[in-house]
Amino acid sequence: MANIGGERVEIRSASKHYGSVRALDDVSLDIAPQEFVSLLGPSGSGKTTLLGILGGFIQPSGGSVHLGGRDVTYTPPHKRDIGIVFQNYALFPHMSVGENVAFPLRARRLPKSTYAEKVRGALAMVDLAGYEERGIGQLSGGQRQRVALARAMIFEPRLILMDEPLSALDKQLRENMQIELRQLHKRLGATIIYVTHDQREALTMSDRVAILKDGKLVQIDRPERLHDHPANAFVASFIGEATLLPVERVGSDSVSLAGTVLKSARPIAPNGELVLAIQTEKLLIEDGSGSPERNRLEARVTDVVFQGESLRVFLALDDGTPLSLRQPSHYEAARRIPPVGGRLALSLHPQDTIIVPKAGA
Amino acid sequence: MAKSLNFRTASVAAGFFLAMLGSAMAAEQIMFVSQGGAYQKAQTIAILDPSAKKLGITINQDSVPDAWPIMRSQVASGKPTWDVVDVATNFCLRGGEQGIVEKLDFSKIPNAAAMPAEYRSDYSVAYEFYSSVLGYNLKKFPDAASAPKSWADFWDVKKFSGRRSLRNHPLATLEAALMADGVAPDKLYPLDVERAFKKLEEIKPNITVWWTSGAQSAQLLNDGEVDMVMAWNGRISALTKEGAKVTYTYNQGILQSTSLCVLKGAPNLPTAIKFLNEAVDPVHQANLPLHIDYGPANPKAYDTKVISEARVKELPSAPENAKVQALMSYAWWTSPAGEAAEKRWLQFMQK
Amino acid sequence: MTTQTIDPSLRHQRREQALMTLLAAPAVLVIVALVVIPVGWLAAQSIYDNGFTLEHYRRIFTEEVYWRSFALTFRIALMVTLLTLLLGYPVAYAAAHAKRPWNVLILACVMLPFWTSVLVRAYAWLVLLQRTGVANQLLERFGLITEPLAMVHNELGTVIATVHILLPFMVLPLYSTMQKIPRELMLAGASLGGGPLYSFLRIFLPLSLPGVVAGLTLVFVLTLGFYITPELLGGGRTVMISMVVSRNVELYAQWGAASAVGVVLLVCVLAIFAAVGRIIPLDKMLGQK
Repeated sequence: MANIGGERVEIRSASKHYGSVRALDDVSLDIAPQEFVSLLGPSGSGKTTLLGILGGFIQPSGGSVHLGGRDVTYTPPHKRDIGIVFQNYALFPHMSVGENVAFPLRARRLPKSTYAEKVRGALAMVDLAGYEERGIGQLSGGQRQRVALARAMIFEPRLILMDEPLSALDKQLRENMQIELRQLHKRLGATIIYVTHDQREALTMSDRVAILKDGKLVQIDRPERLHDHPANAFVASFIGEATLLPVERVGSDSVSLAGTVLKSARPIAPNGELVLAIQTEKLLIEDGSGSPERNRLEARVTDVVFQGESLRVFLALDDGTPLSLRQPSHYEAARRIPPVGGRLALSLHPQDTIIVPKAGA
Repeated sequence: MAKSLNFRTASVAAGFFLAMLGSAMAAEQIMFVSQGGAYQKAQTIAILDPSAKKLGITINQDSVPDAWPIMRSQVASGKPTWDVVDVATNFCLRGGEQGIVEKLDFSKIPNAAAMPAEYRSDYSVAYEFYSSVLGYNLKKFPDAASAPKSWADFWDVKKFSGRRSLRNHPLATLEAALMADGVAPDKLYPLDVERAFKKLEEIKPNITVWWTSGAQSAQLLNDGEVDMVMAWNGRISALTKEGAKVTYTYNQGILQSTSLCVLKGAPNLPTAIKFLNEAVDPVHQANLPLHIDYGPANPKAYDTKVISEARVKELPSAPENAKVQALMSYAWWTSPAGEAAEKRWLQFMQK
Repeated sequence: MTTQTIDPSLRHQRREQALMTLLAAPAVLVIVALVVIPVGWLAAQSIYDNGFTLEHYRRIFTEEVYWRSFALTFRIALMVTLLTLLLGYPVAYAAAHAKRPWNVLILACVMLPFWTSVLVRAYAWLVLLQRTGVANQLLERFGLITEPLAMVHNELGTVIATVHILLPFMVLPLYSTMQKIPRELMLAGASLGGGPLYSFLRIFLPLSLPGVVAGLTLVFVLTLGFYITPELLGGGRTVMISMVVSRNVELYAQWGAASAVGVVLLVCVLAIFAAVGRIIPLDKMLGQK
């Protein structure tokens, strides 16, 4: 299957109200052709509603949807040419694998003679060559996922929507499929909008991640930007493994955390409540080797938890404020951590000192 | 000790006495079965209760709409629980043929002596009369002169327009067909079955409903669903009493009866025969039409003066009315030819 | 000397089986007492009348009366079945797709007549459909007809009332099947380019077929045994097989003659179930798991 390119997707001020409930509230998105964008948010954040509006299953209460510059807000789903992979695969149980995959071709009344070859190609693409005659009931979860993918791709849509497609798979398989999906995306070149509630999955796969909360778009950005420049405390807490601590502004680049002044490399909002978001991997054990402008803290060890490839150390500042950090679980690191109750000197680089407004948390 | 012995003797004596009483009561009771409804209520007042009082017996009652199969299975079981059954006369006759019904000793039924021979058989004695008459809607035929008066009129669809209903049963219907074809009421038997069915084929396309229950025939006429119907006289007179604009004629009516018969091996045979005689007593019989529109089976009832002159005119078995009607021959209907005609009916209906 | 050791899990399994048998025993007894024995007695009567006889069966297979009634009964059953499907499918579809209070309401409307006796419903249809009935009066008032239509006292009246009575037996299996068809399948069909009709025909309809077959079978088989409705609304002409059974009791005064008809009807019903059972397992048909 050739690279057929992707569709530009624009969502302008889309809203959906159910009575007084705002499932989606004035969301605008502009997705470039061939981009892989994840919609990330907790359940009830509006990501499935947004997907429904894109797919044409849900009529927006306001706003519009444009595909490749064409207004499709009122176009019925079967005329949108969007490939959709559903959460539970939505394979047709009364059809064989081959018939499932050929469905879009039949529905479009394409010449019958082309079916066999296209189906073979689509199945090969998802490593299921030769599975045409199998029944859906004979497939494993991962295989079903691949059939659903093949079926969504066979008509060469320039936009593919995926609704938590990997959520039903076990961890190992999920991680393999994430890599495969990325490679597939590169080969097909289609625009992909991917709904998930798993932040790791979103960060791993996406060009950009849109974070939704209570029907609103909170932030859309590249994964590393989300990580380092969260728009607010909600994003900071949702991405990574952060501890949020209330701080007070003491200068244009510094805040006070329980009496300790910390410098940040970024400008700090002049007013409003602020929080410090410390990602566990960014809080280091002070060993004298850091940069001179690093912030320093001291805390007491309250617990050490072994988590396989890493250790998580739970700490408390002098006033009791809890913190935690993560260390690779090798001998050198373990040696540096005092037993529970012992004191530990910490450092946090100003570049990693992320101060965000509390609002929206 | 002596005291307790006395006590025991006393209780044994008391028990003995009670047992005697019980068996005496058991000997003097019968199980009487009829068809239920208003009809059974009327005879309870007119015949059953007075008879029980006069004979000093207990008459237990049961009712079933279709007694015949149960009569058969009761006798087949060897231990029937019914004694006397009031059922359409043909079933008494058929029961006699098949050994289901006791042969009657008429010397023990002196009241039946006054009844015409056609009202009796070796196995049955007529109990009451009703008639299958031509009824019609007075709104459709307000003028007596231009109303249908015979089965020939009923069959004449050109002269008498309107919707018609006949009973979904060969009894009386075949007789009506033959009378419509010109056979005299007293020359019907043995029925010319072939001719009767041929005549029925003629009217068949104009029959809106073939009714199956008496209530249905009344409802059809009352609702205006049909304009004329062959129905039982009592059903139509009941409508008239409720104020419905309907009437009927006894002319060419088919006089039918139910009879009493006694099941073979009835548990209380002697009492049952005693009751049979009492049931056709002229006075009891005369009382029946005071409670329901059926005629007495014993003509002597008309001599008792219990029934008013006006009432006599309404009754199917009154001599004046009986004269213009045909008396159904149950003997013919239970003959092989009659049974064959009955079996042929279903075939006729299906075509 | 060899000692044979019994696998303890096998022993446990046996004990469980014994327990199951014990638990099922009362139900089996009830069925034997209320179904097997009477049906067996019925069958025995049909071939025994003062000695072994096939006379009753000979009559059924040679006399016109019987095959006419069988033919009529099957024809009515077929009409009723197809009409209930035609009427029931959209209702079941609506119920399966309606949201919470509405689906309950639709099903309640379907089930409501269930709580009225068949007899009452037959009379109600008589009142509605007869010459002077509500239906004819309305049609006449609106000038649609000049002469009252004969909608009752014939085969039509029988079919109308029977369809009404048996509609729930079509709607319920349909509903229970449709309800289990995942919503996403139709969404998937649409997203893959199938228009509403195409997706319905290719996805929904085939998946609802088990319900269709179950409904068809139930309604067909139930119609075969209908008695009161044709008796009251058939005008005497609509002689269905159950009426022949009753008439045989009257005419031949022998249970055997009627029993034989009953046995033949029973064999027909069992044959239908067996044939359908090859397509859809019986347990699935009667109570979807």
